[in-house]
Amino acid sequence: MKNQYHQDMLPLSNYLNTIYLFFRPLIKWFLHRFTNLCELQRLVYGAPDGYRRYKLVERSLYLSKRPQIKNLVYCLNEITSHCIPESLIDAEITTRAIDTILNVKKIKPKYHPGFSDAFGRCIDGIYTYKMLESYVEKLRLQQYSSENFEHEQKLLLLWNNLMPNIPLENRITKQWQQIGFQGDDPSTDFRGMGILALDNLLFFSSEYSGTARHILSHSQHPKYGYTLAVVGINITHMAWRLLKSGQAKSHFYNLSRTHGYLNIEHFHQFYCYLLYEFDSFWIKLKPNNLMEFNNVQERFEKSIVKSTEKENCLFKMNLSVENV
Amino acid sequence: MGLLSLLRKLRSSSERDLRIVLVGLDNSGKTTILRQFANEETPQVTTPTAGFNIKSIQSNNLNLNVWDLGGNSKIRPYWKNYFENTDVLIFVVDSSDRKRMAESTSEFNELLKDEKLQNVPIIVLANKQDLNSSMKASEVAEIIGLVKLKDREWQIQACSAIDGTGLKEAMDWICKCMKK
Repeated sequence: MKNQYHQDMLPLSNYLNTIYLFFRPLIKWFLHRFTNLCELQRLVYGAPDGYRRYKLVERSLYLSKRPQIKNLVYCLNEITSHCIPESLIDAEITTRAIDTILNVKKIKPKYHPGFSDAFGRCIDGIYTYKMLESYVEKLRLQQYSSENFEHEQKLLLLWNNLMPNIPLENRITKQWQQIGFQGDDPSTDFRGMGILALDNLLFFSSEYSGTARHILSHSQHPKYGYTLAVVGINITHMAWRLLKSGQAKSHFYNLSRTHGYLNIEHFHQFYCYLLYEFDSFWIKLKPNNLMEFNNVQERFEKSIVKSTEKENCLFKMNLSVENV
Repeated sequence: MGLLSLLRKLRSSSERDLRIVLVGLDNSGKTTILRQFANEETPQVTTPTAGFNIKSIQSNNLNLNVWDLGGNSKIRPYWKNYFENTDVLIFVVDSSDRKRMAESTSEFNELLKDEKLQNVPIIVLANKQDLNSSMKASEVAEIIGLVKLKDREWQIQACSAIDGTGLKEAMDWICKCMKK
């Protein structure tokens, strides 16, 4: 738990951080005296809503030395390491956190009417992100299996979405290469990204079918083409990395501000954004051939990471071509 | 001290840069092998290689630059752009994929015909020996026609990229080959 937190703070030099952590209790005590508000209240009232506030609240909870709050953080991490139904989030996560904090910090809702609500929304964002992480990992670890009917159906649906006018001649066929799989059976291509990669591709091709076919046509360009499905699987890898490293927090926390609970659909949307933008990036660069993929992908990832470093980061599909 | 640093200098100047090219069909395990050579963890998280990966590996005083070229049929035509000055070619076969052995063989024969690869030593890795359905290394050598090869040094090595068995032996052969 601690290690994970330290990763988030890498940009701050370790030196300054140690000094800060040493003086933190003193600073907090001073501010509490003068403002009559605890740190969480100051953050919830003072920091701008969205990523900045959520991030600071998260940090404050992690650094807390109060046993009840430590225990709360531990409980919430335990709960969110599994996936619980959305209907239980309020009772299991939000209310639990609000009650504990009100109790420990002796905050009276009567005098601080806005606190519970605003603090609850921070908790929703922070912990549904963690839950999303667990769920995404679960999908990733699920290997594609040709014996699984549901997996097979999804694969065939992907074909129909991308190639609505051309029927698939056979389950094992070279036709799969037309949408960018490697051989005549896509099942070996998902590998380390498992069903997550298939779900990502399927969501993109169903939700944005026009765009997906447009991108497919780009990928089939004789000179600047690429292998769409394989590139799509590599983009899943990238989205997964960004989620896991916490770099995607700025986007997702800001999204949670307006959309509440985060769920798998938000991850799919994030993926669609990345794939769509990658396509434009590739087309603009006009690489000589697919051998330049890693180089282009690295540059693309750098530009995305740079955007996530802005506090107001929020990725939105900028569609100009849907249903051409 | 002076003598020691002098010796060290001599040693480092004798280090050679070698170019190793790693090819084979898609899903044969090239990237996982590359990661094992470089002693990297978590080989489970792989995706199909679009393009190529490259890593520098130090072994037996040799500096090996290993190029892992994607096995996708769409990019196989570009393999030959990377063959110039190759010191050793590694060809990876998925020993469990009997259906595609013919495709492997024909790609292998294409490589043998390439002018830039003339006389380049070849090591064939019969990968995925951890699976029960896998063919033995000797069978693989027989099928792809390795045993008939007379114009260059060659070696067949059974391996399992997932747990790393056989890869040390492969690396030793490569180094021995280069020190001759």
